[in-house]
Amino acid sequence: MLQAAMTMMYVTAPSPASEDRRLAAGCAAGDATIFEEIYRRMGERMKSVAWNHLGNVSDAEDAVQETFLKLHRSASTYTGEASFSTWAYRILVNTCYDLLRKRRRRIEEEPIDDLTESAQRTAPNVDDAKRITLRKLLDELPEQRRSVFTLFEIEGLSHAEIAEILGISEGNSKWILFATKKELQEKWRKSSAEC
Amino acid sequence: MMTTKCEQLDDLLYDATPLSMETAARHAAECPSCAETLAAWNEVSETAQSMRTTWDNDMLWPRIERALREERKRSPMKRLWQVAAAVLITVGLSATITYALRVQNHQAAFDRDILQLSALDEVQRAENDHLRAIEKLEDVAGTKLDDAETPLMISYKEKLMLLDDAIEECQANIDRNRQNAHLRKQLLAMYSEKQQTLEDVLREDSNVSTP
Repeated sequence: MLQAAMTMMYVTAPSPASEDRRLAAGCAAGDATIFEEIYRRMGERMKSVAWNHLGNVSDAEDAVQETFLKLHRSASTYTGEASFSTWAYRILVNTCYDLLRKRRRRIEEEPIDDLTESAQRTAPNVDDAKRITLRKLLDELPEQRRSVFTLFEIEGLSHAEIAEILGISEGNSKWILFATKKELQEKWRKSSAEC
Repeated sequence: MMTTKCEQLDDLLYDATPLSMETAARHAAECPSCAETLAAWNEVSETAQSMRTTWDNDMLWPRIERALREERKRSPMKRLWQVAAAVLITVGLSATITYALRVQNHQAAFDRDILQLSALDEVQRAENDHLRAIEKLEDVAGTKLDDAETPLMISYKEKLMLLDDAIEECQANIDRNRQNAHLRKQLLAMYSEKQQTLEDVLREDSNVSTP
């Protein structure tokens, strides 16, 4: 009985690959319900990734919106090599890079604003001063190192997922994270000593 | 139990498995320098984990939805414009290439004509030189040939008559097609041959009369 039920589930539940293809096809067709489904599933993390790359709510929301437009425009090119979510995050991270480059071209760098009242940290017990210090240190990092650190340490993605998103090997992702954390840890100690 | 050295701390942090982090913590408990490093390392991670951010903005999804709707509306028009632009670029590029090739061909034809004309002028000059030399030689050798008695002189006379016929025929062909370089070359060769024969006649005559 149980075995029959399991077989039924196996037959009826869509495989991850077919599910990804369904999402991609929906995006290509401009199906509003599919976009809404993606936003419900991935919107929160997308906002967080964008915020941790761009440092302010307004730019982060712009990046998320732009990512959805890009998903619509390029869904027909989705090959299924990576999972749909990984592919979408790759587009998001690249969009963040584009926005960062545009922003860097401006003569005066916009100050990084901290979160608005409506925004919340998932772990509010950590000192805000520490977060500001780490944010400043992250801003000094090159794009790729910052992305690896953000995606692993802040967003909790695996090295395999990060490797897919950034187009690097898993071993490279692990090495970049170690080198970045080592650099941050040394600067962290120095800044703590100054305080 | 194996003791961990300070130099191994980096390897343990690189591995970052629960076991390696536990080993690092055990070593740090006995080593103040590594304890400081490990504390900073962990603090960076803890602070990073607290930076996962979330905020509510009920307006964001409607904004994205509106942008997608506009994008979808724009898409067919955009595609039409893209096709039109592609056609325009292709036509423009083809016209430019055709014009450039035509100018190039025209220039090449012009150069070819100029070259041909200058070559023909050169041939004409050579022909005139031969004709002048032949006329002078004929004046001198004419009477000798008319009174030819030796077999050699008779064969020279026959050769010259054959050459004259050939020159006449060639000239007639050239009159029909003055640009034919091959015929001009043949005519020049025949003039040269006639000149050479007349010179031979004179030389033979002087050889015969010398003794």
